[in-house]
Amino acid sequence: MRLLRAYANAIDRISKLIGLVTMYGLFAMIGVLLWSSVSKAFFLPSIWTLEMAQFLMVGYFMLGGPYAILTGANVRMDLFYGDWSARRKAAVDCVTVMFLIFYLGVLLYGALGSTAYSLGYWGDQPLRFFAGLVTGAEEIGRLENSPTAWKPVIWPIKAVMILGIFLMLLQALSELAKDILLLGGDKTLEADK
Amino acid sequence: QGKITWRMQTYAGAALAEHVLDPAIKMFNTIAGDRMNIELYYADQLVPTGELFRALQRGTIDAVQSDDDSMASPTDVTVFGGYFPFASRYSLDVPVLFNQYGLNEIWDEEYSAVGVKHISAGAWDPCHFATKDPINSLEDLKGKRVFTFPTAGRFMSQFGVVPVTLPWEDIEVAVQTGELDGIAWSGITEDYTVGWADVTNYFLTNNISGAWAGSFFANMDRWNELPEDLQTLFRVCCDQSHYYRQWWYWGGEASLRVNGDKMKLTTIPDAEWQQVEDAALTFWEEIAAESPVKAKVVEILRKYNDDMKKAGRPYRYS
Amino acid sequence: MSQEHIAIFMFSSMMLMLFTGQRVFGAIGAIAAIAALALWGTGGPDIPFSAAMKLMKWYPLLTLPMFIFMGYVLSESRLADDLYRMFHVWFGNVSGGLAMGTIGLMVLISAMNGLSVAGMAIGATIALPELLRRGYDKIMVTGVIQAGSSLGILVPPSVVLVLYAMIARQPVGQLWLAGVVPGLMMAALFILYIWIRCRLNPALGPVAEDAGDVTRAEKIRLLGAGALPLIIFAVMMVPFVRGWTSLVESSAIGALAALAASVLKRRMTWALLHRCVKQTLAISCMFMWIILAALGFGAVFDGLGAVRAIESLFTEQLGLSPWVILILMQLSFIVMGTFLDDTAMLVIVAPLYVPLVGSLGFDLIWYGVLYTITTQIAYMTPPFGYNLFLMRAMAPPEIRLRDIYASIVPFVGVMVIALAIIMAFPQIALWLPQLVYGN
Ligand code: NA
Ligand code: NA
Repeated sequence: MRLLRAYANAIDRISKLIGLVTMYGLFAMIGVLLWSSVSKAFFLPSIWTLEMAQFLMVGYFMLGGPYAILTGANVRMDLFYGDWSARRKAAVDCVTVMFLIFYLGVLLYGALGSTAYSLGYWGDQPLRFFAGLVTGAEEIGRLENSPTAWKPVIWPIKAVMILGIFLMLLQALSELAKDILLLGGDKTLEADK
Repeated sequence: QGKITWRMQTYAGAALAEHVLDPAIKMFNTIAGDRMNIELYYADQLVPTGELFRALQRGTIDAVQSDDDSMASPTDVTVFGGYFPFASRYSLDVPVLFNQYGLNEIWDEEYSAVGVKHISAGAWDPCHFATKDPINSLEDLKGKRVFTFPTAGRFMSQFGVVPVTLPWEDIEVAVQTGELDGIAWSGITEDYTVGWADVTNYFLTNNISGAWAGSFFANMDRWNELPEDLQTLFRVCCDQSHYYRQWWYWGGEASLRVNGDKMKLTTIPDAEWQQVEDAALTFWEEIAAESPVKAKVVEILRKYNDDMKKAGRPYRYS
Repeated sequence: MSQEHIAIFMFSSMMLMLFTGQRVFGAIGAIAAIAALALWGTGGPDIPFSAAMKLMKWYPLLTLPMFIFMGYVLSESRLADDLYRMFHVWFGNVSGGLAMGTIGLMVLISAMNGLSVAGMAIGATIALPELLRRGYDKIMVTGVIQAGSSLGILVPPSVVLVLYAMIARQPVGQLWLAGVVPGLMMAALFILYIWIRCRLNPALGPVAEDAGDVTRAEKIRLLGAGALPLIIFAVMMVPFVRGWTSLVESSAIGALAALAASVLKRRMTWALLHRCVKQTLAISCMFMWIILAALGFGAVFDGLGAVRAIESLFTEQLGLSPWVILILMQLSFIVMGTFLDDTAMLVIVAPLYVPLVGSLGFDLIWYGVLYTITTQIAYMTPPFGYNLFLMRAMAPPEIRLRDIYASIVPFVGVMVIALAIIMAFPQIALWLPQLVYGN
């Protein structure tokens, strides 16, 4: 129980911190879009603005995702759920959060494969590839470029997605931990349910 | 043994695929009967076009129709797919290059190395500009945000064109909402067929390539699992599709220039356009310097275009 | 499994998952992932992630955080206070006038943001307490605010229409313009309804005695407050409709315009800004994760042939006429809207319906307006509705859940009437876009 509490506290703090930084990414998006209209009106339009803004948008919602879970921003269908007691909600969530975790796991698996591909690995064991990169058994191969004329390498944004999905997963586990604690008798958690 | 089913995705949208692909696949399914069925999906439908290659390599998708450039194949021949500037003048140039000048072998080798089956290459239409505002000189190209292929865009950016890549189905709307000033992705047949002629006003008769080059691909394992007669049938149907496109575009381009009423034709004078053609030769050199395989392909393109010039009319008029 | 069975299996298990109360995106994503793993074959597990790449390429989504931010700036900085006073003094001395004025207020707020949250927030915090204090009927005014704020997605700018535009591949500019007249018409119908109710029973909306106390000069001055939304609206819309800026650029300009207005009116503080930025992140993430999961669901659904099964059911097997199909679709949207999130509904269902609507020969701009109205209804109908949620969270304690549910009934009725009118007379929607874009 102590461990669960320590875990939940740590993860919640990380999500919050990252969320606090990410939320101001909004102004980066605004800035890029503004530059896009200014450069179009007064100079040559920039070739990178739209794609850059798209990267920022993906970073924004991937890295902000854990914070959204933490703050309970993700809606639920509450026809039944809404009427349940906090304990009951926690009990059901303990089970159904497995589905969320499963989904995030599949997403993460896809993200790892796709990122390994963007670093030039074409097999289907991305984890072995990443491990090999660390030990030196594998090398970075042909880098994937975005199929546009600007053609930035694509691995950085995919790496951000891995990070975001991974943090989502940690946050989902933290929610599970808190539900277990609640069922274990921690009354302080009931107010948030 | 049950029926084999494949998922195939083309990089073209549904309106276009109705001509460039649907008939061939229907034919395949009819002939293959109970033995095999290919389910066809269009631009970005199952996976986004940028992810097509990976999906094919992994087997998420079994077969693909695309140019190498759009699907961002991790090979050295990728830049030559789609519209490599001034590589060909007529749509017949493409099959000749592949079948008689050795490109087939190079493609086969490159794709085998990355675990994908290259089945056959064929030609589509020439690459022209369709724009909201008229283009009468190179100056008019400056600052135009244009939907085009990655390599063609890279080439044209030296003339101030700002290349943009978006999902195919979004192009028409992007022109309307101001994201794009025009399109350099096709000839006039497609402009009319897919609705772009409705949102642009001008068609530039100069082109930066006489024919698109693209291919049919399959996942290597799926391909190897097919019995030989189905492989042959698939090849035949691909050829049928290549053939359909030969006459459909060739006739369409001429007819719509003459009879189309949605777009006004404009032309950049030959002398001025020569700058673009000359720039292409420099561009070829740059590309050739990037790798031995690229150098080899550029060499073949040079040789071919030389031969055609020497052969004189009707192969080349200048 | 046959394609029909797959369609039924995926849909019903998604419903089941939703009813457990797990987060909507988790429920949808999990079913997509399970189906991808179990039924797709080689490479299936890559699909949910490849939806993320698809989402990245959907550039109009960039407008989402912008319009959400606009809404929060508007409500948090109380930019609408003067607007509210304006309607108050001008309409207060009529029976039911404050309620009708609130609808007017909602229309102006709708012109400055793309969702209904801002309208709900402003309505529930500024207008509602005031209306209750004046003895207005609590059930009626609760409905007024939920219905009025839902105009936010019909009157441009509209996030729902942006999302629809991406699915239907229709120009956002035309869709937005198509929403203008139906939006105003619906507002007029709401007002008409309030007027009739209060004529029949003046106790529902007592005359505000103090509304006349204000001097004439003050009244005129307050009219100036109405200029602010019009200016913000114009700064954003004019360059867009004229083609000087693109859609996503315009949305950024709109966000800045709202911010600038709040700074100029000295209503913005750092703490407030932080709150807006924080809420924008939360709501944007909620949206994007639902879209991500739904895109994955849609791709798996499609790749397994379920889409074909449903299409052939509608077009071939049932053998219905176009209008019957259309009406059935609208009904199914309304039914699904009661318990499904509208974005998930759009991303999963619209790709089946929209091509069909198009091939039946209907106009897809017009259909976008119809879809938006069903979404408005969805926001208000229990068990699952965003405006219901917000109302529950923000309403003063004397308003109970039962009141909230009861309050929406007549307004949903009005919306259905509006829906029918626009179905019967498509020109109500199409007139303005045709006028502006001329074709
Ligand atoms: Na709005
Ligand atoms: Na609802």
